[in-house]
Amino acid sequence: MAPESSFERIQCQWCQSMNEKSALACRACGAPLDIRNLISESGWREAPRIRDMTQIQFSSSTCQVEGEVVPVAEINLGPGDSVFFEHHVMLWKEERVAMSVLQLSGGFKRAFAGMPFIISVATGPGRIAFSRDATGELIVLPLHPGMELDVREHAFLLSSHQINYSFVRIKGLTNILFGGQGMYMDRFVTAGSPGVLILHGYGNVFERRLGPGESIMLEPGAFLYKDSTVTMDVEFQRLGSGFFGGTNMSLARVTGPGRVGIQSMYVHHHTE
Amino acid sequence: MFCTHCGSPIHEGQTFCTNCGNRVAQAAAAPNPPAQHLPPVPPLPPVPSAAPLPPVPPAAPARMTRCDWCGATVDTSQSSCPRCGATLHHAPVAASASGWTQLPPRKDMAKLQFGKSSCQIEGLYVPVADMNLAAGDSVYFAHHVLLWKDPAVNITTMSLKGAWKRMFAGLPLIMTQAEGPGHIAFSKDDPGELIPVPLQPGQAIDVREHMLLAATTNVGYDWFQTGIWFQTRNGDDTETHYPVGNFMDRFASPQTPGLLLLHAGGNVLVRTLQPGQTILVKPTALVFKDPTVSMQLHFEMPQTRGMFWGSSWGARYMWLRLAGPGRVAVQSVFERINEGAMTGSSSATAAQW
Repeated sequence: MAPESSFERIQCQWCQSMNEKSALACRACGAPLDIRNLISESGWREAPRIRDMTQIQFSSSTCQVEGEVVPVAEINLGPGDSVFFEHHVMLWKEERVAMSVLQLSGGFKRAFAGMPFIISVATGPGRIAFSRDATGELIVLPLHPGMELDVREHAFLLSSHQINYSFVRIKGLTNILFGGQGMYMDRFVTAGSPGVLILHGYGNVFERRLGPGESIMLEPGAFLYKDSTVTMDVEFQRLGSGFFGGTNMSLARVTGPGRVGIQSMYVHHHTE
Repeated sequence: MFCTHCGSPIHEGQTFCTNCGNRVAQAAAAPNPPAQHLPPVPPLPPVPSAAPLPPVPPAAPARMTRCDWCGATVDTSQSSCPRCGATLHHAPVAASASGWTQLPPRKDMAKLQFGKSSCQIEGLYVPVADMNLAAGDSVYFAHHVLLWKDPAVNITTMSLKGAWKRMFAGLPLIMTQAEGPGHIAFSKDDPGELIPVPLQPGQAIDVREHMLLAATTNVGYDWFQTGIWFQTRNGDDTETHYPVGNFMDRFASPQTPGLLLLHAGGNVLVRTLQPGQTILVKPTALVFKDPTVSMQLHFEMPQTRGMFWGSSWGARYMWLRLAGPGRVAVQSVFERINEGAMTGSSSATAAQW
């Protein structure tokens, strides 16, 4: 039930933004407001299916989400607004949209780690559109000052310029070798003003909020994003079959407090 | 004759209304089998639920309905079938004009019951089977389909017979087993459909290898050689290919009702073949069949008169002939195999055109 007191406004259940009562979709994250949440009995919330052609607002720009199987994020950049992204997710752009390169530190390390050496920046005014290469969902995460989010490498589609991009090295050799996500995770930190981060998850995406000390075991390839307060460590499960020596299965233990997001079409890596 | 939807006149023999596209009710239908014709299902025991239900007050007798898909007898107050997850009360699933039926619609987060446990099916692109296992209930699966689990759920291995044969055939060597209490979830890594197959006591089903997502441990797991193969190259270079797999999995539930969850690529279409009725499908598209359905390769050879390769193996189309009685299912995303350069095959029929 919508709270009557808050000037007839309704709160989005996905990103907590307030919306006008007549709104059908959240203006900050695009989640439908007239459809009930899908939460499994085990506590996972299915990421909202954004209706085709839904518009999202951020600073003086808008983003329209088009298509449903492999959705496209089409950005109408306001003058002076910019977004950054990995160059391979670009779908089309107007010629007037200016392109530049985000200055990054540690480029040498990044090149070795197979991460994109160059993060591109598109500056308005003008339109530019992005999509990924597989069936999945767009996850719109409005970030407020003070939020820190860790994202699987190559999983972010674009981010607005208010957000600082960095990367964290995944600690521990086992985590790098068997964690299934390489050496680095992208880290997005907001400075003074709010921004928006759009991810693409393969298949369906689910989010769960872990309490302090609460943990869950994940297929490492299923990991999509987490609050930086959530820790992640790889553990092995020995699957013995006696005679054949067996095999090891690696699972990531993810421990709260904070949010964790997973994708159902995981990036599978081989067991040992 | 008039369309039941928009009232436009319809000519004899028309399948669809030319005005609104509505399917014409097949009142005086030809010997077409009815749309839903699953193998006869013995009457079901009531679906067990976690807490014993209080006796139904005699004033309000529960109204029961039959699930179109799996045949379970279900209380009409439920919106999804608790045995297979199919949405109840939807318009009858129409068969295509050729007799194939799509899987029934399923609501996101539909819940299935088995034993004292339940399973929620979440998501529509790459669905997740999220199991809530009760103490003492267990399921088995190939370890690579595990998506997440509660730390408390214990995973052990299940011994399989014929490990050598399985290893050479590329089948999963180790089946993993998870025991309740706790949550554990499974998914595959390609877009497709999750097919819940409730097995009645005494019922068995033959499934293409690598299709299994998970099964309850009371479902027996066996396999047999398909005997369907073709060869390429000659002499020492001869390679044998198995378009339906060297082995096929057979799942059977001897005494108690079991639950089998399969995942197939793209969309899944099902039909029931009458005794002796046949259909040709691409061998790699077969998902499952009743054990009563037999399989054989069939080749079609286009006539390329005057061409020197006119009758060579390279110009053949390969089919799998399925012969009834029984149910068969195909997937719309399947491996395209190169049918050229074939040098031999298992027993097959051939036709020229």
